[in-house]
Amino acid sequence: MDRPQELLKPVKRRFIYFTFALAILVELVPLPQDSMRWLPDFVGLLILYWVINLPSRVNVGTAFALGLIADVATAGLFGQHALAYSVTAYLALSRQRQLVMFNLGQQALAVLGLLLANQAIMVMVRMVTGAAFVGWGYFLPPLIGALLWPLLTKLLVLPYRRHSLL
Amino acid sequence: MNFSNTPSFISHGPRPGLRLTLAVAASVALLVGDARLGLMGPAREALSVALYPLQWLVNAPISAAQHASEFFVDQARLKQENAALKTRELQLSAKLAELTTVKNELAELKAMHALRSQRAEKSVLAEVLYTGRDPFSYKLIIDKGQNAGLVEGQPVVGDSGLIGQVTRVQPLTAEVTLVINKGQMVPVMVERTGVRAILYGYGGGVELRYLPVHADLKAGDTLVTSGIDGVYPAGLPVSRVTHVERRAGAAFLSASSLPVDGVYRQRFVLALETGANRPPVTQPQP
Repeated sequence: MDRPQELLKPVKRRFIYFTFALAILVELVPLPQDSMRWLPDFVGLLILYWVINLPSRVNVGTAFALGLIADVATAGLFGQHALAYSVTAYLALSRQRQLVMFNLGQQALAVLGLLLANQAIMVMVRMVTGAAFVGWGYFLPPLIGALLWPLLTKLLVLPYRRHSLL
Repeated sequence: MNFSNTPSFISHGPRPGLRLTLAVAASVALLVGDARLGLMGPAREALSVALYPLQWLVNAPISAAQHASEFFVDQARLKQENAALKTRELQLSAKLAELTTVKNELAELKAMHALRSQRAEKSVLAEVLYTGRDPFSYKLIIDKGQNAGLVEGQPVVGDSGLIGQVTRVQPLTAEVTLVINKGQMVPVMVERTGVRAILYGYGGGVELRYLPVHADLKAGDTLVTSGIDGVYPAGLPVSRVTHVERRAGAAFLSASSLPVDGVYRQRFVLALETGANRPPVTQPQP
C-alpha cells in the first residue's frame, strides 16, 4: 500500500472548496476554442479525487451541486453535468474501499473508466435531447485526465506535506 | 489516525444509493425542464449571477495585460500610424469634396430632367464648358452645337428658369447670351397680375423699363416669359423684382430685379426648341 500518508491527515473544508473553485475558474478561463478538444474536465477529476479520498465529505450531493454550477459555467444543458457527476460519483463511491487501496497507476486506470462513463452519460443526454454525435474526439479529455491523475494527487497532498513539517 | 478510511459507524445522512436516486431524479427533472419546457431560465440566471465574480476574476488579469500591452506601444509605431492616418484623412477629404460636387451635379441634372419632362417642347441637354472670356459680355459656351441640331435663337433654361438665348452656333459648341447681357431683351409679364413688359439686360443685371408709374408692381413679384414673341415659350421664370421706386415727375417707374437663382450657377442647361414660325432672331448688340 503506497498511499501517501499525508492523505490520512484531516483536510480542511476550506481547502476542498478552494480546489473546486479553482477547477471552476479553469472552466471559465477564456481559452481558444480548440482547447475544448483536449482539456480535461477538472471539476470531474476533482470530484473523483475527493470522493475516493474523502467520501465522508464529498459525496453524490456535492457532485450534483457542482454539476449544476458546471452546467451554467459551460452553458450546457441544465442538469447534464449534474447527472453525469452524480452517477460517476456514485460509481466511485460504491467501489471507494477498493479504489483507495490501489496505487496511483491503478487508480488512474479506474479514473479513466469513470471519466469515460462521465463523458458517455453527457453524450447520451445530449443525444436524447436531440443533438448530433460530436465525434470520438469527445472521449480524448478523459484520457488526458487519467494521465494527469497521479500529478493531481501529488499536487493536492502538497499543502499537507508542508504542514506536516511544521 | 486514519480519518478517511475509517469505517464510520455513525450515520452520515442518507445512503449513497438513495442520494444517487435523488440526484438522478433531480437531474432528469432539470434536463426535461430545461430542454423540453425551458423552465430553467431564472435558475440559470441566478447561478450565473453567482458565478459572475469568478468570471470577472478570471478575466481581470487578461484584460489588465491587454491594457498594459496597449499602454506600452512604442513611439515609432504611433508615429507611423499617425502619418498613415493623416495621409488617409487627406485622401478622404479630397474624395469627400469630389462627392459633394458630384452630388450637386446630380441634383442639378435631376431638376433639369424634371423640367425637361414637364415641358412639351423638344430640348437638348448641354453642359456649360466655360464662360466667355470677355468681361463686358455675359455669355456661356455650351458643349452642343450644330451636331445636336441647335439653331440660333433657341431659349436656354437652367433648372429654375430662363437664363439666356443661343446666339451663335458652332459645329460642336454654341454660345449662349445670358439675359443679363447688355441689350438682351426678354418679353415678360408679371406672374401675379399679367402686366406685360420688356426686361432689359444692362450688363450684369436686368431691369424693367418703360412701365407706367401706376403699373401694379411690387417687390417680390416674379417675372415670367409672356410667350407672345414666339421665341421664348410662355411661363418660364426669368427674374424676381427686388425693389420698386416711383419717383414723382418721372414718366416710368424704375424697378430693379434679379435674374432667377443666378445665371452663372448652372452646370447643365437645357436648350428648348420653339417651333418653326419664329420671327427673326434678335441680334445682340456687340
